[in-house]
Amino acid sequence: MTATVLEPPAKTALDFAGLMHQHQAMVFSVAYHYLHNRDLAQEVAQEVFLGLHRNLAGIQSPAHAAFWLRKVAVQRSIDEGRRRMRRPQVALEDVAEPAVAAAPGDPLLGEILRKLIATLADAPRMVMILRYQEDLDPMEISELLGIPLATVKSHLQRSLALLREKLARRGLGER
Amino acid sequence: MDWLEQELKSALARKDPPPGFAERVGEAIDRASPGAASKAGPIASRRVIAWPSRVAQRWLAAAAAAVILMIGGGVGYRWHRGIVAKRQVMQAFLIAGGQLNHLHAHLKEVSQ
Repeated sequence: MTATVLEPPAKTALDFAGLMHQHQAMVFSVAYHYLHNRDLAQEVAQEVFLGLHRNLAGIQSPAHAAFWLRKVAVQRSIDEGRRRMRRPQVALEDVAEPAVAAAPGDPLLGEILRKLIATLADAPRMVMILRYQEDLDPMEISELLGIPLATVKSHLQRSLALLREKLARRGLGER
Repeated sequence: MDWLEQELKSALARKDPPPGFAERVGEAIDRASPGAASKAGPIASRRVIAWPSRVAQRWLAAAAAAVILMIGGGVGYRWHRGIVAKRQVMQAFLIAGGQLNHLHAHLKEVSQ
C-alpha cells in the first residue's frame, strides 16, 4: 500500500528509544551536576530528548547523536542556569564543614566536591563537568563550548587550585 | 591523575535519571506532536499512565481548586437567592393579606 511506503522506516523508531536508553544518564548528569537540582535537571533532560525526537531526521549516526545530545544538554543547562539564577542558591558558606575528615571515595567527600563545584562560575563549572564527568580532553571541551583551548586549560587549572585550597581549609587536603 | 582528580571523577560520575523518565519523555512527545510518538516506537507503546509532572500537578491542583470554588460559589449563591425569594414571597403574602383584611372591613362597613 502507498501509505505504508510513506511511513518513516521502523529503524528510526528503534533508534530513538535506543539512543535515549544509552544517553539518558549522560544528559541528566550534565544538567544535574551543573544545576545541582534534580527536578530541574530532569526537566532539562526531557527537553533535550524532545529536541532529539524533533530533529531525528537530521541525525546521521549514533556518534552524531551522542555529540548532538551532549552539546544540547550543555547549552540547555547553561540557559536554564542563567534563566533561573540557580548559582547563588549554593553559596560557599552552605557547603557543610565535615565533622570528621572524609576519606577518599567517601560519599561525604563526593557531596562536598559536588557542592564546591556548584559554587564555581558558569564556564569553569561546565568545563569541570565535561572534563571529569564526560572524560573529555581540553581540546574536545574547547570545541564543544566554542571557547579557546587556553581558556579551557586555564579554567581547569584555576578550578582545581581553588578546590584544593577550599578542601585544605576544611582539613581535606592532599593525603 | 592525582587524588583530587580521581575524587572528582568519582563525585561527578554519571547518574541515571529518576524512574519513569522515559515514560515522561514519551508523554511529552505525545503532547508535542500527537501521533508522532507512535512512530517513535517502543517508548510510547510501552508507556503506562504516568504520574503528571510537577508543573502539571500544580496546574491540576489550581484547576481543581477553581472548580471547587466555582461549584461552592454557585451552590451558595443559589441558596442565598432562595432565602431572598422566600422573604419576598412572605412579604408579598403579608401585604396581600393586609389589603384583603382592609377590603373585607370596608365591604363590611358598606353592607351595614
